[in-house]
Amino acid sequence: MLVDQTAEFDVRDYLRKEMMPHFLCPGCGHGIALRALLWAIHDLGIDKDKLAVVSGIGCAGRLSAYIDANTFHVTHGRPLAFATGLALARPDLQVVVISGDGDCLAIGGNHLIHACRRNLNLTCLMLNNEVYGMTGGQVSPTTPETLLTTTTPRGNTEPHFDACALAAAAGAGFVGREVTRHVPKLKELIREGLSHPGFAFIEVLSDCTEILGRKNDLGSSPEMMLRQKSELRPTAYRDTVDMPFRPNHLPTGILARNDRPEYGTSYRRAAAAAREAKP
Amino acid sequence: MNAIDPALAGRPAATLMSGNQACALGAIAGGCRFFAGYPITPSSEIAERLARSLPEVGGVFVQMEDEIASMAAVIGASMGGVKSMTATSGPGFSLKQENLGYAAGAEIPCVIVNVMRGGPSTGMPTRPAQADIMQSRWGSHGDYPIIVLTPWSVREIFDETIRAFDLAERFRTPVVLLYDQVVAQLSETVVLDVVRDTALVERKWASGPPADYKPYAAGADGIPPMVRPGAGYRTHTTGLTHSENGFPTQNPEAVTRNLSRLFSKLDLNREAIDAWHTLGCDDAEVVIVAIGITARAASRAVELCRAQGVRAGLFRPKTLWPFPEDALRAATANARAVLVPELNAGQLSREVQRILGGAKVDGLFRFNGEPLLPSEIAARAAALVKGA
Amino acid sequence: MSGPSPTASELAKAMPAPSTLAAAEQQPVNVLVVGVGGQGVIMVSKLIALLAQQQGFEVKQSEVHGMAKRGGAVFSHVRFGERVWSPTIPLGEADFLIALEWAEGLRWLNYLKPDTGVFICDTKQIVPPFSCRDRRPGAALGYVRETVDEVIAKVAEGYAIDATHMAEQLGNDRVANVVLLGALSAALKFPASQWEEIIADFVPKKTVGVNIEALRQGRRWIEEARKGLPHPSTVPTPAMPVHADYRVRLEITPEWCKSCDICVKMCPERCLRLNAERIVELASPEKCTGCRMCEWLCPDFALRVHLDPVRATEGAVR
Ligand SMILES: Cc1ncc(C[n+]2csc(CCOP(=O)(O)OP(=O)(O)O)c2C)c(N)n1
Ligand code: SF4
Ligand code: SF4
Ligand code: SF4
Ligand SMILES: [Mg+2]
Repeated sequence: MLVDQTAEFDVRDYLRKEMMPHFLCPGCGHGIALRALLWAIHDLGIDKDKLAVVSGIGCAGRLSAYIDANTFHVTHGRPLAFATGLALARPDLQVVVISGDGDCLAIGGNHLIHACRRNLNLTCLMLNNEVYGMTGGQVSPTTPETLLTTTTPRGNTEPHFDACALAAAAGAGFVGREVTRHVPKLKELIREGLSHPGFAFIEVLSDCTEILGRKNDLGSSPEMMLRQKSELRPTAYRDTVDMPFRPNHLPTGILARNDRPEYGTSYRRAAAAAREAKP
Repeated sequence: MNAIDPALAGRPAATLMSGNQACALGAIAGGCRFFAGYPITPSSEIAERLARSLPEVGGVFVQMEDEIASMAAVIGASMGGVKSMTATSGPGFSLKQENLGYAAGAEIPCVIVNVMRGGPSTGMPTRPAQADIMQSRWGSHGDYPIIVLTPWSVREIFDETIRAFDLAERFRTPVVLLYDQVVAQLSETVVLDVVRDTALVERKWASGPPADYKPYAAGADGIPPMVRPGAGYRTHTTGLTHSENGFPTQNPEAVTRNLSRLFSKLDLNREAIDAWHTLGCDDAEVVIVAIGITARAASRAVELCRAQGVRAGLFRPKTLWPFPEDALRAATANARAVLVPELNAGQLSREVQRILGGAKVDGLFRFNGEPLLPSEIAARAAALVKGA
Repeated sequence: MSGPSPTASELAKAMPAPSTLAAAEQQPVNVLVVGVGGQGVIMVSKLIALLAQQQGFEVKQSEVHGMAKRGGAVFSHVRFGERVWSPTIPLGEADFLIALEWAEGLRWLNYLKPDTGVFICDTKQIVPPFSCRDRRPGAALGYVRETVDEVIAKVAEGYAIDATHMAEQLGNDRVANVVLLGALSAALKFPASQWEEIIADFVPKKTVGVNIEALRQGRRWIEEARKGLPHPSTVPTPAMPVHADYRVRLEITPEWCKSCDICVKMCPERCLRLNAERIVELASPEKCTGCRMCEWLCPDFALRVHLDPVRATEGAVR
């Protein structure tokens, strides 16, 4: 079913309204990320019937249930592997994966690097709230050093991942990062990722207000949202000045893009040749 | 309708092939068009064969990063509406259990081949065992129904692979094809271009207005129809307990209703699922219950016993789970003793004891990578009759 | 660095009028760099600061934190001299005002020393969202309307350079800031070679050439301008957009609101509030511009902004 694309975007056209209000805590950044995704889908005129959303387990993983599309809420860490099967079997579908930082980088880390390597036409949204939200706030592979979590009661001492650097190194066709604070920019980034023919990895910096925010006294939801900016280095700014002036370590924007062949296309081309070669 | 895939057309009437080859051909004949796997001895020939053959029939083969991923990809492809399969051995089967449970709970049809080798752990990769009998039934967490088929010959592997797909599609369930390393890798002369008299089972698709469709509403036979993504239904599939509409619920009534249907859906259709093979059970004083390579030895043991004047019989479940217990009871009704030889430390014998009671059931176990010999089985069977 | 560098006091003494560096031993030289996010304000000020430091001056530099978004105002103070106490330049004390954007430059004019302050400004105009007094789409802009000549007449010494155009000619519009830096370099009289060295050190390797060329062009431009060559003609003032008539209507789904307060705090006009039940409501409808910030940031999709066009007849009927 195609929503009139020329009409102004109304997120409710893409929601299963009977499921609302959603289950996320007040102020949870994941809801904003969901809006940006649906907005990008609207902008591209993607038919909801042809949209498949595969999500893992976690607060992020729960989002698929609210999207009026073909949605699959699978096992913890495995959405990319499920999506690989789905996208290979059904190249006519636009397959989007929604995953959390724990889902995507810890239990699902192996699937992530191989999805990047394979470069199958998938768009993976990793909602990074720097914590295991769903299970009550344990340390995750992206929890910044010193932050308190229930399993780092004296502050985190484990180093954390730069997921985008990982994805780019593993060969992802498209890599980008944005904060929930900049919704139109985030939407544009997702739109670019969805249009990229190959594997697109997009890290969304999101806020876990109820668990991580409270535990570390990071302030109210709007305060956490304002804080997002001070940690960022938009690529435009970074290119102007080599040295950051603020303690902002994470580059945002499109961070890598290449035109490696898309796996599904290559596979189907070889298969067609094999069929032709057969008498 | 001719159920034999065109891929097989023109083959000579008799071919020498291995069990794993027959499995791959059976998959294509059974309508499999997606395979995801990860190499492991002694199952890799299935993947290797399908990597070559699937693209030729418009299917997709993919080697994933591990067995967890291959099981996930298979379910993903099946959710896309394509008949899908994976193949592995014990260590990989353990990894598949997580997502196998998902397929059982979300009722996604798929076929998992487990070629059993010696264990535990990495065990004896190239030696036979039958030690995953219980894992194939109870390997994933929580309660769930599952169908396990256990062929004993190359030809039967071919047929049972097709049946595995039929059952998976018909009952919306994962189906495990469980056989041992010997049956997998032995080569036999088989005739495959036999016309089956029944058509392949195709998935029951939902029809009618999307607004009225409930993905998990029981319907007449307890098996809800499925939807193909893109057909306009836009449903949700989850591994969380769900109500009829497919969305998560923890409402006790809804959970009871839906899990009860799940647990009973195979039991309500046992006549379509159960399959077994008997040899000389009618007058048997001792019935040997066995599967796979051990059943082949046992069938020879029956002859050896009878030559000695011991009336032995063989009961061989072809559908291992759910276990064909009524058939077992009937086959052993007149027997004084039941012997369960198996290549493990005692798994099938437990199920047989559960069904028949402990008194007349004895086991013969071997777990050193060597098969049981007909003479050994015959000797024990004869001893049981004499002692009983 | 190559060659013996002059000491700070030698350098200061060497600086001729009309530069105001003569008193650098006692009074710091104050350079104020302004522009909008993304233009390279910080880079310009950093380069000035680094060079001054290399020349042996004490340097203090400060800039706005947290505003470096594209389109937002950005400014940076650089002060150097024998002794510098405060990092910020008081009103009316700037020796140089370098503006990378026209309107931003005008906004800071009162920081210049009235008698001697030098104003160097790109004629580039970026209408920043936050310089609009009325943020309704299509509303009248609060953007400066003075002509270049009017502005230049207000300052002791003023240069209006079309630096962005010059940068574009060089093939990289990003180096407009360095064109302006070149203009400043002529006035500051640090050795030209050292300006070039520090730029070569600072910018990404592949852009060294274009940056140095930009510096030279800016410098040349000022030198010619000082010889009495004419300033570029008038800068076009932005056209007034047609005021589109529409009515903002905020649709609230109270059942979905979870009282997180995000919309209340992020609304630029502060026209939302939480009511007694802690559900969002529009407190000052007249202030709402329809910017959609609240709609975008509500994690619960409880807000929807409608911009209803007002039909000509509508007013009459009512
Ligand atoms: C195999 C398995 N291990 C552990 C869990 C428990 N679990 C559920 S969600 C989760 C972490 C989710 O964190 P993240 O992916 O960051 O998502 P968030 O909730 O933060 O959005 C864990 C460990 C599980 N469901 N399955
Ligand atoms: S626990 Fe954290 S991540 Fe999960 S819904 Fe609440 S705020 Fe969001
Ligand atoms: S649209 Fe929303 S954010 Fe913008 S002014 Fe109106 S109430 Fe405030
Ligand atoms: S942002 Fe949304 S949920 Fe939060 S207070 Fe505003 S309307 Fe309510
Ligand atoms: Mg998380």
